[in-house]
Amino acid sequence: MTLSNEALAALVRADSVHKRVYTDPEIFALEMERIYGQAWIYVGHESQVKKTGDYHTTRIGDQDVIMVRAADGKVHVVYNRCPHKGAKVVADGDGCTGKFFRCPYHAWTFKLDGSHLSLPLKNGLEGTCYDPANPDFSMKAVARVDSYRGFVFASQSAEGPDLKTFLGGVASSIDNLCERSPVGEVEVAGGTFRVMQKSNWKVFYENLHDTMHARVTHESSFVAAREEAAALGEMPFELLIMDGNGEPYEFWEKLELRAYHNGHGYMEGIFDPTAATRDPVSRDHFAVLTEAYGEDKARQILGMNRHNTIIYGSGSPHTVFQQFRVIRPVSVDRTMIEIQTFRLKGAPDAVFDRALTYANLINSPSSNVMPDDVEVYKRCQEGNQTHGGDWVSLHRYLGTDQETPDGMVSTNGTSELPMRNQFAAWKQYMLNPAPTRQRQAQEKEADRATA
Amino acid sequence: MQLLDRTFDVSTAPVSGASLSAEAIRRVEQFLFHEARLLDERRFAEWLALWTEDGRYWVPRFHDQANPFEQISLFWEDKMLREVRVRRVENARNWSQQPLTRSAHLVGNITIEGLDAAGHLIVRSTLQLTEWRIDQRQLAGAVFHKLAATEDGSWKIVLKRVNLVNCDDVFANLEVFI
Ligand code: FES
Ligand SMILES: [Fe+2]
Repeated sequence: MTLSNEALAALVRADSVHKRVYTDPEIFALEMERIYGQAWIYVGHESQVKKTGDYHTTRIGDQDVIMVRAADGKVHVVYNRCPHKGAKVVADGDGCTGKFFRCPYHAWTFKLDGSHLSLPLKNGLEGTCYDPANPDFSMKAVARVDSYRGFVFASQSAEGPDLKTFLGGVASSIDNLCERSPVGEVEVAGGTFRVMQKSNWKVFYENLHDTMHARVTHESSFVAAREEAAALGEMPFELLIMDGNGEPYEFWEKLELRAYHNGHGYMEGIFDPTAATRDPVSRDHFAVLTEAYGEDKARQILGMNRHNTIIYGSGSPHTVFQQFRVIRPVSVDRTMIEIQTFRLKGAPDAVFDRALTYANLINSPSSNVMPDDVEVYKRCQEGNQTHGGDWVSLHRYLGTDQETPDGMVSTNGTSELPMRNQFAAWKQYMLNPAPTRQRQAQEKEADRATA
Repeated sequence: MQLLDRTFDVSTAPVSGASLSAEAIRRVEQFLFHEARLLDERRFAEWLALWTEDGRYWVPRFHDQANPFEQISLFWEDKMLREVRVRRVENARNWSQQPLTRSAHLVGNITIEGLDAAGHLIVRSTLQLTEWRIDQRQLAGAVFHKLAATEDGSWKIVLKRVNLVNCDDVFANLEVFI
């Protein structure tokens, strides 16, 4: 690694960042260690592993991991690696492994928490260091696992803030998503989309609260929706959710952007919340919530009108349409998005129908909206490979953001506060080598020295 | 919402057989070839006119997906949404259609499956689709058409279901009709 902390620090200015942060594979490798190696990263939802042995594979940065439900009912997260010769123990995807993991190569077996269970022909190991109790013979667990209202996060570092502290103000978005269910619980349902983007992972995070792009990038989409609505003489839900991007600049200027520590944040809703109480689906939903929580609380829950929320390093939950776009970096110029849809337990079926329609029409690989986002992300990636200049600007409304006890709030909805906030977090992580990893490296060095 | 109308019959399993003359079968085949050609030549207005008022275009997200109501789909579109898609891809500021998607459909193995409960003809074919936009891409699958006979002896599409061999894959964009 040739990058000193000094060199890294010089890549981020108050109002701009050096394009290398998006294009340099060495920086990407360092991000996998210092950001994805430390932060709490969303692994999956508990409802994806309902029964003992159910597993869901995913990635924490560049690490293949398995989320699995063990016999004691607890959810564990282990690296997808057999300690024998390193084979991935389960194939990518979801499944049920039964009572234990069995490696497909030489049949070493492991309990559901990854600990060593057995292996064939033990007599061949007599007189060797083989010891089932030695962690070297077990699948390794990720350092810390915790769940917030069913959302499972893991951290590769044994140190650092606990999950609740890490999430800070953005936990309120997860709370709101859950409270939209009369029993306070959600589950992943209806299947997930997976979309590949030819751009750096940070580009997508920045776009999530980029209100200046909507009218421009999505012109073909909202114009098409408006033309169709004009021809029909009405604007049904399917068209309304495409129409939102076409609001005039004055609309976007009035929105509020919240920035929290660790790069998180949210932006206010772009669909009229009062329209929601006018339609029968929202009215039924409101009735069910009123019964469960009382009218005031129900009004407060449905009135919390958030558009994209950002959990930096994990992705973007969308409370109103019950979605989580999980953002997984693949390489410096490839990012995989997994779009999960949630059912609100106990809510009317029509509420889930609407979430399904939203997922199909706005975030599927075949939507009329996302292809244009994906296109401009790719153009950023390619443009930043040219010699046409070195700095990427983040200066809109610089110096006007207001401090709050847990972060910042914009004075104008077109502020580039969210990008500045993300890079403040980025810098903090990147200048701080993960203590656990650092210690592991030191121990390895020491082992080598004594060997 | 029309899209959620669960009374729409998405099943492609025939409830009775259909006996067609060799000439009638030939006309069905020609209809499918013509439909594919309209897409390849981006003659979208003519393609839209091939559908019944109520016709649905469906590309499931899962193998053997039972319906588009409980699970997500890659495409689940009625007349309105097909028209919106055409309007969008034909808009000059469709950044992700620069350059345009070019395609060649190869339609084969056409078999007449039978009739559905409402008497629509169910036709199965296999599809090889080569698509180019910056990169070349291959898509393949089995296609089910449900066709309603028209008075002039031709057909209109009631349902087109495309079972992609890789419906559960990671995708980049699927912007134009398959
Ligand atoms: S690699 Fe897993 S048992 Fe040999
Ligand atoms: Fe966008």
